[in-house]
Amino acid sequence: MQQILIQSSWLIPLYPLLGAVLTIPWSPAFIRRTGPRPAGYINLVMTLVAFLHSLMACIQAWGEPAQMYYLPWLQVTGFEFTLPLEISAVTLGGAILVTGLNLLAQIYAVGYLEMDWGWARFYAMLAFFEAGMCALLLCNSLFFSYMLLEILTLGTYLLVGFWYNQSLVVTGARDAFLTKRVGDLVLLMGVLALYPLAGTWDFDQLAIWAQTAEVDPTLMTLVAVALVAGPMSKCAQFPLHLWLDEVMEGALPSTILRNTVVVATGAWVLIKLEPVIFLSPTACEITIAIGAITAVGGALISAAQIDIKRILSYLTSAVMGLVFIAVGAHQSEAALLLVLTHALANALLTMSAGSIIINCITQDVTQLGGLWSRRPVTGLSMLVGIVGFVAIPPFGGFWALLKLLDGLWVDHQGLLVAIVLLVNWVMAFSLMRLFGLIFAGSSQQMTIRAPEPIWLMVMPMTIGLGLTLHLPLILQGLGLLPTWMALNKDMALLTIWSSLLGLAIATLIYITRLVDNPTALVERRIQQLLAYDFYTPRLYRATVVWFVDSLSRLTDWLDRYVVDGFVNLVGLASVFGGETLKYGNTGQFQFYALTISLGVIVITLLMSWQYLPW
Amino acid sequence: MQLEYFLILAAALFCIGVYGLVTSRNVIRVLMSIELMLNAVNLNLMAFSNYLDPASAKGQVFAVFVITIAAAEAAVGLAIVLAIYRNRDTVDMEQFNLLKW
Repeated sequence: MQQILIQSSWLIPLYPLLGAVLTIPWSPAFIRRTGPRPAGYINLVMTLVAFLHSLMACIQAWGEPAQMYYLPWLQVTGFEFTLPLEISAVTLGGAILVTGLNLLAQIYAVGYLEMDWGWARFYAMLAFFEAGMCALLLCNSLFFSYMLLEILTLGTYLLVGFWYNQSLVVTGARDAFLTKRVGDLVLLMGVLALYPLAGTWDFDQLAIWAQTAEVDPTLMTLVAVALVAGPMSKCAQFPLHLWLDEVMEGALPSTILRNTVVVATGAWVLIKLEPVIFLSPTACEITIAIGAITAVGGALISAAQIDIKRILSYLTSAVMGLVFIAVGAHQSEAALLLVLTHALANALLTMSAGSIIINCITQDVTQLGGLWSRRPVTGLSMLVGIVGFVAIPPFGGFWALLKLLDGLWVDHQGLLVAIVLLVNWVMAFSLMRLFGLIFAGSSQQMTIRAPEPIWLMVMPMTIGLGLTLHLPLILQGLGLLPTWMALNKDMALLTIWSSLLGLAIATLIYITRLVDNPTALVERRIQQLLAYDFYTPRLYRATVVWFVDSLSRLTDWLDRYVVDGFVNLVGLASVFGGETLKYGNTGQFQFYALTISLGVIVITLLMSWQYLPW
Repeated sequence: MQLEYFLILAAALFCIGVYGLVTSRNVIRVLMSIELMLNAVNLNLMAFSNYLDPASAKGQVFAVFVITIAAAEAAVGLAIVLAIYRNRDTVDMEQFNLLKW
């Protein structure tokens, strides 16, 4: 029985996939009379099955060595594509996280999409995502991870474009697809260039290869940078971060998933590739630099947003930046822990944001306020999400950040420690500002009548709240927390102080409202710069988009006028030749006689040329 | 007297015939030019027959045939001219350019 559960773990991605297929009949075009709700219920059941399976398999696999299974896929000359599956406590734990969060998001969506007809499409896409992510977790090959990442990119496009009659949704889905595609394509270059070097795509074999590999440093740097570029776009890292802002136009339940686990798919691949990236110190530095820029930039931008969902999305970018720093500094365990704690806390924050949006309609935090007395559950969820997100002991985010800081301090990376503390400080400020603007102050027109939403939205939120609160206990039970003796107390104190400072400043400004007009505190130009995300859309349009656009216009012009023109010229020349040469047929007998005579003369001259006397 | 003189004379006559054939506007003159060309050919035949083949004189036989054929051709040609003249009331070659492009 025990082995069966583990051995059949490859079924976990197939349950949601089956659910996705089964939703199709409830598309409005097929079953026209009953409405779309069964689609959602089927998927809930499927996700529950997947969740229970991964939970029980994880319990069985706990403490056991990782088991590898190989599924043959394709055999062509010289190549054997085998899909390796790694069934271990870590991968199954990841599957629990994905299916669990999906379960919460799907229950949440039952409440949130009450007034929507597109359930079949929505739940099919959610299940598709779930399947892709579970497969990515279990799959142990870089090549198949790349394939799954591409499938997830397509899934993002379709899921973001859910309400496709909104123009901003269409542009957002477009940008999300293209930005992620760019990263994927560069990742493909890295994947293809890695095979001749390592001779394998399996992550564990790559790790073994990396221990003894001797590769030309420049080559390795290029390959490693290409491998980082894929996760860079997946995790919405600078400068490929705009898509995460724009996909906030999509439906909120999908945002729960996206902000927590979808962006983490890139981080997962990056963490798995850490041994390879570590072969090149330059690539490590680049990874750290990208992570640091995104973390600082994302946190600062988030503090200047007025849209709830965008405040949270930039924080997601910032946390993923911290994950990049962790991977670049060779601390994949801290990175994994950070992904885990962030996923839970961010899911909770996103769910509470959705709970506000569904009733208050506006997403503009400057139009919200004074909700604490009437929305206690949502308010408490957001508070718990905040303390779970930033470093406040004893909650999850604290342990992840402490582990990271500890490792950085031992490595003598003082600058990075300062950056992480700064990011934590700004994130604490940004989150507390969000809380203060929504829940403190006086009611405004949009918030004057705002009840808690129905139980289908409150329940997953409170479950998420419970999970976030229990996370430290779970971590302790699993032995993942450091002992009191091993604790780096200086770092812990610094971390706590940075969080408290951020929380306190935001509390003073936005809850006790010491300052009448907080926006006047910062110079207007800096404020605009942060609020408009460093003008990234303009930056894209002025560089890459402009270049590709001009180039395609030029090639189109060349194609139309030079290539087509040349071929058309041949045709035209023939037509023109025919049109002009026909005038040789004058219709006059004497002209023909002249032509014949001249022809005879010319031929005679040619034939008798050598017999002529000169 | 050499063969070349006869041949050059015949060639000159032939070229005069060609010139007349190409430049004349009157159909009758075109036919006359054709006669000139045929006579140039006959001169050639006679000259070759005399200088190269005096024994069997096949060229002379050829010339006799050419003369008869030329007479028949001129008759048919004049008949065609008359037929065109009946329809179009003119013998000007420049009016006969209907069958062009």
